[in-house]
Amino acid sequence: MRPILLQGHTRSLTQIKYNAEGDLLFSVSKDHVVNVWYSHNGERLGTYNGHVGAIWSVAVNSTSTLLITGSADNSAKLWEVRTGKCLHTWEFKTAVKRVAFSEDDSMILAVTEQRMGYPGSVVILSLNQDIDAKQSDEPITTIHPEGSKAMVADWGYLNKYIITGHENGTISQYDWKTGNLIQSIQPHTAEITDLQMSEDRTYFITSSKDKSAQIFESNTLSPLKKYVTDAPLNSASITPVQEFVILGGGQEAMHVTTTGARQGKFECRFWHKILEEEVGRVKGHFGPINTISVHPSGQSFSSGGEDGYVRVHHFDQDYFKFKYPDL
Amino acid sequence: EDAREKSSVSKELLAHRRRLVDEWNAWRKRVEKELIEERQAAGLPPVSIRDTENVEVIE
Repeated sequence: MRPILLQGHTRSLTQIKYNAEGDLLFSVSKDHVVNVWYSHNGERLGTYNGHVGAIWSVAVNSTSTLLITGSADNSAKLWEVRTGKCLHTWEFKTAVKRVAFSEDDSMILAVTEQRMGYPGSVVILSLNQDIDAKQSDEPITTIHPEGSKAMVADWGYLNKYIITGHENGTISQYDWKTGNLIQSIQPHTAEITDLQMSEDRTYFITSSKDKSAQIFESNTLSPLKKYVTDAPLNSASITPVQEFVILGGGQEAMHVTTTGARQGKFECRFWHKILEEEVGRVKGHFGPINTISVHPSGQSFSSGGEDGYVRVHHFDQDYFKFKYPDL
Repeated sequence: EDAREKSSVSKELLAHRRRLVDEWNAWRKRVEKELIEERQAAGLPPVSIRDTENVEVIE
C-alpha cells in the first residue's frame, strides 16, 4: 500500500468523503477550505471558497452534482460540484457540526452546536436537485434533542428515520417528520465522534472517545459488534470489500507532548468486522486521525489527520486475497 | 506467517469464528429480505447496489 499524500490544507482535517463513484475525494478542514481531489492520483481538482470559519462537515449527493458543507461560521452551504459555485447558504444561530444527504438526496440534515442561549438542534431541510432552483430556508422540522447534545447524525434507508450520536455516548432514532424520539440507547460512555452507515443503511458504525467503535442494526438499534481499542477514536468506516472496519483516532496533542507518535497511537486500525479481532495497522500521520473514508467499491481508503494531511491508500492484491484461516 | 497463524488457531477459536460468521450471515439474510420487502412496498427496485463495474472515471 503506497499512500498518496494530499497537501492542500494548512490546518487539521475534520471530514473527508468519497463521492458515490469513488473518483473524487472531498476534504474539509479548520482552515476554512473545501478541497476536491482525484482519488486515483491525488491531483487537486479544485476548491470551494466562501466559508469564513472552520468547516466541520461535508457531504456529496449520490449523483455527484451537489455538495453541502457545515461550518463554524454558523452556516451550511450548497455548492455545485462541477463549477465550485456556491448555490445557497443556510444561516443558523450556531456552528454547523454535521451535514448529511438523505438516501434519495431529497433532504439534508444539519446538526447545529449548542451554545449559551441556543440549544443544539438537528435541522431537516428539503433540497431541490435542480442547480438553478431556489432553495428553501424554512426547515421541514427542527429537532431539539433532550439531554446530551447531538454530535453526528445520518439518515436511515428509505428516509425511515434519522440516527443521532450524542456527547454522552447516547444513540437515538428520531422521526424527522415530527421530531419525536423513537428510541434511544447509551452504548458508549463518552462522546460519539463519528457515525457512518453501511452501503444499504441497514446497519451503522459509531466511534467514540471511550476508545471503542460499535456496530448497530439501524431499525432496532440492537448492538451487533464492538471493537475495543487503546486510544480515543475519532472515526470509523466499513469496508465494502472484505469484512473489515477501519478505525482511527489517537491521544489529543495536549496529552502526548512528551511522547512520540508511537505512543500517540496515530494509526488506522483494521479490525475484522464479524470476528471483532484486530488484523492490522497503517501508520503515517503525525497526529490524531480525525476522519476516515472508504472508497465505495473498496479500492482505497483515506484518512485525514490533525496534522493537516490526507493520506490516500490504494489496496494492493494481498488485501483482496486476504482470507482468515479455515473460514 | 499464514501457516503459523493456522497452526496456532485452536479448535475452539475456529469454532467460535465460524459461529460468528454464521450468525452474521443469518442476520444479513434477514435484514436484506426486510429491506427488499420495504423497497418493494415503496415501489422501488429490490436493491440499489452500486454498479462498480461500469464506473466512468474522469481522468
